[in-house]
Amino acid sequence: MASKPMFRFLLRRFIFLLVTYIVATTVVFILPRAIPGNPLAQMLSSLSQVAQANPEAIRAAERTLMKEFGVDKPVLVQYGEFLLKALRGDLGTSISYYPRKVIDLIVPVIPWTLILLLPATLVAWILGNTLGALAAYRRNTWIDKGVLTSSLVVSQIPYYWLGMIFIFLFGVRLGWLPVQGAYSQGTIPSLSWGFFVDALKHYVMPFASIVISTMGGWAIGMRVMVVYELGSDYALFSEYLGMRDKRIFKYAFRNSLLPQITGLALNLGTVLGGALITEIVFNYPGTGFLLFKALTTLDYPMIQGIFVILIASVYLANFIVDFLYAWIDPRIRLGQEE
Amino acid sequence: MLLKVENAKAYYKLEKVSVKAVDGVSFEIFEDEVVGVVGESGSGKTTLSNLVSMNILKPLTLVEGKILLKINGEFKEISSMSREEVKKKLWGKEVTIVPQSAMNALMPTIRMAKYVEHLAHSHDLAEEKLLAKAEKRFEEVGLDPLWLKRYPFELSGGMKQRAVIAIATILNPKLLIVDEPTSALDVVNQRVFLKVLMQLKRMGIVRSIIFITHDIATVRQIADRMIVMYAGKIVEISSMEEILRKPLHPYTRGLLNSVLTPEPEIRKRGISVIPGAPPNLISPPHGCRFHPRCPHVMDICKEKDPPLEEVEEGRRVACFLYSEERR
Amino acid sequence: MFSTMIRPLFKNKKFIIGISIFLLFLLLGILGPTFYKVDPTEMTWDYEQPPSVEHPLGTDTYGRDILAQLLHGIRSSLYIGFLAATISLVLGTIVGSLSAVKRGIVDDTLMAMTNIVLTTPSILIAILIASYLRIRSMEAVAVILGLFQWPWFARAIRAQLMSVTSREYVYLSIMAGYSDLRLVIEDLLPTIATYAFMSFVLFINGGIMGEAGLSLIGLGPTRGISLGLMLQWAVLMEAVRRGLWWWFIPPGVAIVAITASLMVVSTTMDEVFNPRLREE
Repeated sequence: MASKPMFRFLLRRFIFLLVTYIVATTVVFILPRAIPGNPLAQMLSSLSQVAQANPEAIRAAERTLMKEFGVDKPVLVQYGEFLLKALRGDLGTSISYYPRKVIDLIVPVIPWTLILLLPATLVAWILGNTLGALAAYRRNTWIDKGVLTSSLVVSQIPYYWLGMIFIFLFGVRLGWLPVQGAYSQGTIPSLSWGFFVDALKHYVMPFASIVISTMGGWAIGMRVMVVYELGSDYALFSEYLGMRDKRIFKYAFRNSLLPQITGLALNLGTVLGGALITEIVFNYPGTGFLLFKALTTLDYPMIQGIFVILIASVYLANFIVDFLYAWIDPRIRLGQEE
Repeated sequence: MLLKVENAKAYYKLEKVSVKAVDGVSFEIFEDEVVGVVGESGSGKTTLSNLVSMNILKPLTLVEGKILLKINGEFKEISSMSREEVKKKLWGKEVTIVPQSAMNALMPTIRMAKYVEHLAHSHDLAEEKLLAKAEKRFEEVGLDPLWLKRYPFELSGGMKQRAVIAIATILNPKLLIVDEPTSALDVVNQRVFLKVLMQLKRMGIVRSIIFITHDIATVRQIADRMIVMYAGKIVEISSMEEILRKPLHPYTRGLLNSVLTPEPEIRKRGISVIPGAPPNLISPPHGCRFHPRCPHVMDICKEKDPPLEEVEEGRRVACFLYSEERR
Repeated sequence: MFSTMIRPLFKNKKFIIGISIFLLFLLLGILGPTFYKVDPTEMTWDYEQPPSVEHPLGTDTYGRDILAQLLHGIRSSLYIGFLAATISLVLGTIVGSLSAVKRGIVDDTLMAMTNIVLTTPSILIAILIASYLRIRSMEAVAVILGLFQWPWFARAIRAQLMSVTSREYVYLSIMAGYSDLRLVIEDLLPTIATYAFMSFVLFINGGIMGEAGLSLIGLGPTRGISLGLMLQWAVLMEAVRRGLWWWFIPPGVAIVAITASLMVVSTTMDEVFNPRLREE
């Protein structure tokens, strides 16, 4: 299945994404050093406000921080150490959870984000594309107009605000669903049926708010693509040959799906950002919630660590999408440069 | 006779105005001939091809006139067919259009054999039979049948063009309409393509071909007769030889003079360009539509629309220079 | 020429509805605070009151008037949106047209840069930048947001210009010895003007949504009131779980109304100007 051109395509994409990743992490490295007002110094001075309880711990944290940021060394050395450490998975020590390592704090919350984000994104993508294709197929009927108008409006609703409305309606007013968290307080995550049902109940609202507010955009995009494809030369030629409408529509659908896959890759970052905020609104114990806590306590090593991991995972997902694309599109699999 | 068009008027009906793209044309296509339809862009030649193939989609509307096509030995009025009927009974089997950009005419993301299978489904034919036919047709146009198992983008430009023709003729349509098929090809491939087209006709796979182009140099290599269009009207119909020897309509003359042709008598006259631009078709000039650009304009040309009249055997022209009426 | 372009728009029902809603909110933002003279930051003892005659949209935890906050919030959110959109538009136009006109190595470098920014999860970087700024003015937030929206616009501009520059009249301009800048301004930009306008509209949306997002994570403007900040305060004070609907619903409605109406405006313009979508 894997052919030479496909391999070349993937290699090219891999190198591009690697370069981009290095650029992004460089930005992560440079920012605290480049922004005027020296955030590092501010960070240190604000430490004392954050954890007043334990002066001993603060001093220790201060020392660790100085060492980890390596402010006393030349910038290039600092940069090299930063990259090396990041590659090894050493993201430094948290300030607000001193002396725990950042990586140890991030790893346990990642599954929650993934469980929320991946299914929601995929379901929204599938539903949106189906709706959009349906609208294009029934062009200029009430179905089309309905899908289009509602998608236009719904796609403009921010996830988190939709989440708030859900919490208020179904949680507070109707009392059907729990209003926060990923599972009831006091329960310990386990593989039991009871926990599963409990987690599912908590899952419904954040999941639904992401799905509903993202699928509109996919629907609009898909409709435009299919309409465009239906007007293209191969569709016309097929018509002239007496090909059935349904078949021509299937062609258009198939060819529209390819750019939508690229769209998925390009949108991952945005979707991720939205999901982080949704987590905050729902007090959902994922990466977004951890990031929020890190931001409010100015736990910079943690913030940096979270970003290095998030950016890396966006690129990883991008690469997976590229792989999928190359596999589906014969033009890449068999090597036609566009 | 294969096809007869009687006083057809086809307008693009927009909100307030109508673009009179084809305005009262009558002609016929005989069996076993190649007819070139020539004109500048905007002369209505592509609309004419849409009309003949009954590819009439809003805002294009057939305002007046009839189109008759011989189906199974008798003439049917195809202009009264619904689009569904046209798709079911006409396209693919009786008439096929090879669209302007044949280079992108094949579904890009499936193998051509698969495409042929889908065609078989659509026409309720057996897959293997049609595939066998496709293989044969590929050989006939000079392509290895093995290419059927490939994707269209794996073919070169000229090969793609041949594949398109092979697939277009797979159901033996009687009438093939090709719209500017050679403009994207280099000279060598143009020649090959024309040869393939002629060969298909000689073998009786297609009966007649309508060849639409602005490029007289190409059409003269292949067409038996030529229809010259100007501003939605036919100004001259004639056999190829006659028209090259002695173009009658001033527009035809200008058109022939504007291209380099190896014909010595034309070369003698030198290259000239018709001054002015084609008129807009929302409110075309009164009288003869060519009169603002015509070097031989007379008073009557500004008042009356010259009818398309037979001036010699098999030769019709719409110009008062050759009409009784001016005297 | 301009009037023939505009007229068909005003025959389109969707366009009229969209533009009316947007103009209404624009007016609310511009004139609202001048006519409704209640200080949005003034704290009163009427805290967490539902809508009443005195406070048409109720009050928050500190007894501040929600309607006053909303009007000021619309104003600042629109301001941030416009500013961010302008920055994106200028950046995108510069990068895109430089690429198209200069070609060669300039083109390659700029496009590589564009692709990198396009693939970078921009929201994350925006969050990161914002987190290092202790004091964030409205303008700073707009700049951060504007820095990441331009890439796809630059690419589109470049593609359009590339196709235009191959046309004859541009060739003639080059023959006439015009400088690059004159070339861009006189011949090329008019052809992309409508496209740029539609993108501008979408950039405003991006700015407004982005501001709300940043604010919710606690990285919004540190001074003033925006729609995003209102939502953040509501979240911080658990307004949602305590059922104080008058607090978190109005800013959301304003965001959705502004962005959705702009979206409608943009798509209907696209339908009118790009007949391929209008079809049959």
